Amino acid sequence: MFDRDIWQEIFHSIKNNKLRTFLTGFSVGWGIFILVMLLASVNGMQNGFHSQFNDDATNSIFIRPGTTSKAYAGFEKDRRIQLKNDDVEYIKKSFPKDYEHISARMFKGTSARYKSETGSYSLQAVHPDHQIIEKTIVTKGRYINTNDLVSSSKVAVIGRKVAEDLFKDEDPVGKFVEFNDLPFRVVGIFTDEGDDNAERGIYAPVSTYQKIYGNTDNIDQIALTYNANYDLTKALEFSTRLENILKRRHKIAPEDQSGIRIWNYAQAFEDISSFTGVLSWIGIVVGILILIAGIVGIGNIMVFIIKERTKEIGIRKALGAVPGQIIKLVLLESVFITALSGFIGLLFATGILALVGPTMQSPAFTNPSVSFSTVLTATIILVVAGVLAGLIPAMKAANIKPIVALRDDK
Amino acid sequence: MIKIENLHKSYKMGSNSLHVLKGINFSVEEGELVAIMGSSGSGKSTLLNILGMLDGLDEGSYTLDGVPIKDLNETKAANYRNKFLGFVFQSFNLINYKNAMENVALPLYYQKVGRKERQEKALKYLEQVGLKEWATHLPSELSGGQKQRVAIARAMAAEPKVLLADEPTGALDSTTSYEVMDLIQKINDLGNTILVVTHEPDIANMCKRIVHLKDGVIVEDKKVKQVRASEYV
Repeated sequence: MFDRDIWQEIFHSIKNNKLRTFLTGFSVGWGIFILVMLLASVNGMQNGFHSQFNDDATNSIFIRPGTTSKAYAGFEKDRRIQLKNDDVEYIKKSFPKDYEHISARMFKGTSARYKSETGSYSLQAVHPDHQIIEKTIVTKGRYINTNDLVSSSKVAVIGRKVAEDLFKDEDPVGKFVEFNDLPFRVVGIFTDEGDDNAERGIYAPVSTYQKIYGNTDNIDQIALTYNANYDLTKALEFSTRLENILKRRHKIAPEDQSGIRIWNYAQAFEDISSFTGVLSWIGIVVGILILIAGIVGIGNIMVFIIKERTKEIGIRKALGAVPGQIIKLVLLESVFITALSGFIGLLFATGILALVGPTMQSPAFTNPSVSFSTVLTATIILVVAGVLAGLIPAMKAANIKPIVALRDDK
Repeated sequence: MIKIENLHKSYKMGSNSLHVLKGINFSVEEGELVAIMGSSGSGKSTLLNILGMLDGLDEGSYTLDGVPIKDLNETKAANYRNKFLGFVFQSFNLINYKNAMENVALPLYYQKVGRKERQEKALKYLEQVGLKEWATHLPSELSGGQKQRVAIARAMAAEPKVLLADEPTGALDSTTSYEVMDLIQKINDLGNTILVVTHEPDIANMCKRIVHLKDGVIVEDKKVKQVRASEYV
C-alpha cells in the first residue's frame, strides 16, 4: 500500500487522465457537499426552534391564579384566588432544594413621560431573581436589586425600545421618568432575545408597586426556575407537588383545574424536542438517499473507467502483471480520488457554512452547522461504497484474458 | 526451447465450434529466428497467442524452456509471461500516457526490479534500439517505426527466453519494416530466440526458418537462407 512505485503509477494515471479524475471526483465531492448542506440546514432549523424557546430559562415554571370551578372546604365555587407575598415565602420554605430562582410578578400598564415625550407601556413589578428567569440582558446600568426591594425605591429598568422612544439620543440611566405622574429613576436598560415587544417593557421592584397600589401584599403571578439538574420526569413531579401544596393552601379542590394553573416549560420543551427529533430523522433518511445516489454514481463511473482501461490492463497483463496487481492499482487510484474529492467537498461545504452560517439569524433558521464526525462517517461510507462498486468491474477486468483485452480496439 | 505436441484449439462461435488448430507438432531451438506464415484464418495468430500464454490450449502439450505449461491460472500465466516471454504487437500497444522510458521499464516493474535499476535498464535497451534521446517522449510524439522500436525495447527489457512478434511490421511502410526487421535480426544475432508471425514473404525471408500454416496444420517447415534487412536499409 505504501509502495512508492504504485503511488507513482497512480499519480501518473491521474495526471494524464484529468477528465476521468475530475468526473469521479466531482460526483463524490458534490455528494458530500449536498449532504453537508442538508444536514446543516436541518440543524439550522433545529437551532432556530430551540432559540425561539431559549428566550426564557428552559427550566422555568409559572404559577397563575384563576377562579375555582368547584365548591370545596366550605367555599363556594367561582372564588377568585389571590396570590400574596406569603405564597412566595411559602414556596421558598417548602421546596428549598427544588427551586433555584423565584420572583413575584405584577402586571401594570403605565403611561410614561420624559420631557415632552410620552408613551404607554406594560410594566412588570418583580423580584431581582426575575432577571434570570426571564433571561433579561441588561445592556447598560443594572437590574432591580435587593436594596430597591427593601426600600421600595422608585427605580425602573426600561427596555431598549422604551429608551429609544422617550430619551432619543440621551442616556436614560440616572434620569427621572414619570410613570402615571410618579417620578422613577432609570437604573438600567435591557434587551431581550425574544422579540421587539419585550423591549417595550419596564421592570420595577414589586414592593414599590405594592406600596403605590394601596399598601397590599397582593401579587399577580409567581415565576420560578427549578433545579437545573432535574430531568423531565423530576421536573414534572416537582410541578405536581407544587400544584398540590398550593391547592391545599388556597383550599382548592384537588381535581379543580382552573383554581390555579401551573405552566411548566419542560413540558412544552419536550414537545418541541420531539418535533425537531422528527426533523433530524427526515434529514438522516434524505441523507442516506443522497449517499445511495452518490454510490450509484461512483459505481457507474468506475465501470466506465475500467472499460476505458481494458486495453491498458491487457498490455500490463501481457507484460506480466498478475490480477492482484491490476485490482490494487485500479482500487487504490479510486480510493485516492474519492477520498481526496470527498475531503474537498467537505471543505467547500464547511467553508460556505462558516461564511454564510453566522449571517443567517432568522427566527426559524439559526446557525446552520453539522457535526464533523457525522460528515466524516458519510465520507468514509461513500469512499468504501465507491470502492466496493468499483471492485466488481475491477475484478472482471483483472481476470479478462489478455488476448481479449488487447483485441479491444480503441 | 519450445516444444509443442499435438496442439488443438477451437473457438466457439455461437452454436458452432470453429476448429482453428488441428494438431500442431513443432519445436524451436534456442537462438532460432522463426517466421510463422499463413493467410488470415490459417491459425497463425492463435498459435502465437497460445505460445504467449495469452490464450489457453484445448488439447496437446506445450513445454517452454523445459517447463510444462499447463493448468494455468491468471496469476501463474502472468508470472510465466513475465519470466519467459517478450511481446511485440502489430499495433505496438504502448501505454499512451507513459513516456518511452516508462513503457520500457514497465515489465521490469512487474519483475519487482528496483526503481534505479529499472531506469538504467530501460535506457540501455532504448539505446540499443537507437531511441535514447527519445526517452522522455510520449508515444503520440513518436513515428510508427519508433513506436515499434520502443515496443521491442520493452519486450527485450525483461530479458525473456523467447520474443514473440505478432505482425511486427504490419502497420509500417516497407522502409520502416526493414529497419524493424534489421533490429530483430540484430537481437537474434545476440542469441535470442524469436518467433515472428507474418504474412509478408519478404519479411519471412529475413528469418532463418519458415513455418507455413494452412487451415490449422503445418504444411511446410523449412530452413531458409536469411536475407539481411540491412541490405535494404
